[in-house]
Amino acid sequence: MKRRLVGLLGLGILIASASALGAAPALKLFERGTWQSVLRGHAGRPTLVHFWGVTCGPCKVELPLLGQFAKDHPGIDVVTISADLVPNLPAATQSMLDKAGLSSTENFIFNDGFVERLRFEIDPGWQGDIPRTVLISRDGTISTIEGSAEMADLEKWSAEQLSTH
Amino acid sequence: MIRNGLLGILALAFLQGAALGQMHGQHASEAACDEPTLRCATKVTPAFGPDGTLWLIWMAGGQVSVASSQDAGHSFSPPVQVTTKRLNLDWGPDARPKIVVDRKGGIALAFSIFRDEAFNGQVLYTRSADGGKSFAELKPITANNESQRFEALALDQDGTVFAAWLDKRNRVPAKEAGRKYEGAGLFFASSRDGGATYAEAGLARDNTCECCRLGLTFAAPGRPAVIFRNIFDGGVRDHAIMTFTDVSTPGEIRHVSNDDWQIDACPHHGPSLTVAPNGIYHVAWYTNGKTRKGLFYAHSRDEGRTFSAPMALGRPDRSPTRPFVLAGPAGTALVWKEFDGEKTSVQMTISRDDGETWSAPKTISSTTDTSDHPWLVSNGRQTYLSWMTKADGYRLTAIEDQP
Repeated sequence: MKRRLVGLLGLGILIASASALGAAPALKLFERGTWQSVLRGHAGRPTLVHFWGVTCGPCKVELPLLGQFAKDHPGIDVVTISADLVPNLPAATQSMLDKAGLSSTENFIFNDGFVERLRFEIDPGWQGDIPRTVLISRDGTISTIEGSAEMADLEKWSAEQLSTH
Repeated sequence: MIRNGLLGILALAFLQGAALGQMHGQHASEAACDEPTLRCATKVTPAFGPDGTLWLIWMAGGQVSVASSQDAGHSFSPPVQVTTKRLNLDWGPDARPKIVVDRKGGIALAFSIFRDEAFNGQVLYTRSADGGKSFAELKPITANNESQRFEALALDQDGTVFAAWLDKRNRVPAKEAGRKYEGAGLFFASSRDGGATYAEAGLARDNTCECCRLGLTFAAPGRPAVIFRNIFDGGVRDHAIMTFTDVSTPGEIRHVSNDDWQIDACPHHGPSLTVAPNGIYHVAWYTNGKTRKGLFYAHSRDEGRTFSAPMALGRPDRSPTRPFVLAGPAGTALVWKEFDGEKTSVQMTISRDDGETWSAPKTISSTTDTSDHPWLVSNGRQTYLSWMTKADGYRLTAIEDQP
């Protein structure tokens, strides 16, 4: 009986621990090598990768539009990457993603203070301006939209990707 | 068995906790540590006092501190903390605390904080009248409560302190009138009492890019000059320069370079300006425009009305960033950062003929982890590179000593 109680207690700790993690969910850590894993993980699928940050004014405007785009296009993998390096950021990042309707997409946050190296791995020509949207087609062709994306352009790209399926 | 299982579960819970802790740990941070000390600083700004004392202001551990050095950065006085509590400092890539030291040894400071959870900024300022032993209570530089960031300070010969910053107050009436408001306003204020109080803020230019540092200096007595990323027609975020008629009267906007960078984004990458004693303006900036991409330098011999053809800086395959230009006693020096995939280096070139020709760039410092922007500072006899690095701490390197 006592042993069972101990076991239940342990299970309770595990559940509490897991739910604590679940409460600040799914923000994945973007570190050295993560970019290649993202590319591998979505290979063969049309994927939209959006770089943004909580302190970026144009990002605040674009993020909800992207949330709607993700909802309307389940055939497109949407990945967001918070590229800000303000400390204590995960809560603010998650909150903005939730409000924008992006809770269930694959969401990353930069987790390496050596941000030049992270950016260099993604695109040596990228100096950190955000927002920035990278469109990866089924065949791996990458095109980059610097600044806020026009939703009409995303619609067009999406239609092309889905029509070639 | 069950106990072992419980231990395993507890261990798992601790490991998960540790993993979350690491998420906020130093690997993820730009700082080497989380204390208010210089070693933990992410942004360090230097200034020489009239007696040759080097003053540093830095942000570390959520605090802003000041210290001085009598031996060119080899040793420092015990730091004086300017902030009395841990603040949500503006940690943006182009933000940093500012310092000017006047002829009487008065020290004026300014820096930005995020004052709410929506990352609205506020520019705070303070002053020391006792040679940096103590600082007055922090005050907002303007009574207006809309977002302000990216302050800059410059000191005139007569001790007037001039401040400029980016301010979003004018988006409020625009929004009420149903109009879209792009960017932020370039605002300014001056202080006749060494930075103890500032005059009411004035508008120099509406609709400038809201997320890049400013370059600010005095072009001549009573005439501040500021370079900033403007928003030109069509959303083109190219650089503009303005020389004030006096500290209360903004001048005309001049286009520094027609780069044609049309982008609705935060470049987080502002320009640099210095005006030599002979009145020549030297500017350096980053663009990713249709006309040109990368880091560039140009000079003006007519008070910023026209500029020389932009000269590209750095190796395009090494992501050149964060240019800084300073007209010093031995010439005009330019520094910037380059990244080779593993290391960040500071490159330096110098011109001894007012920007007409430049020496071959050379590496004057490097580091294997994250680093602050390279900054140049002069004591009137020598120009130094001031550079904070996470791996190697703070460095002050005499430019002229470089072979």
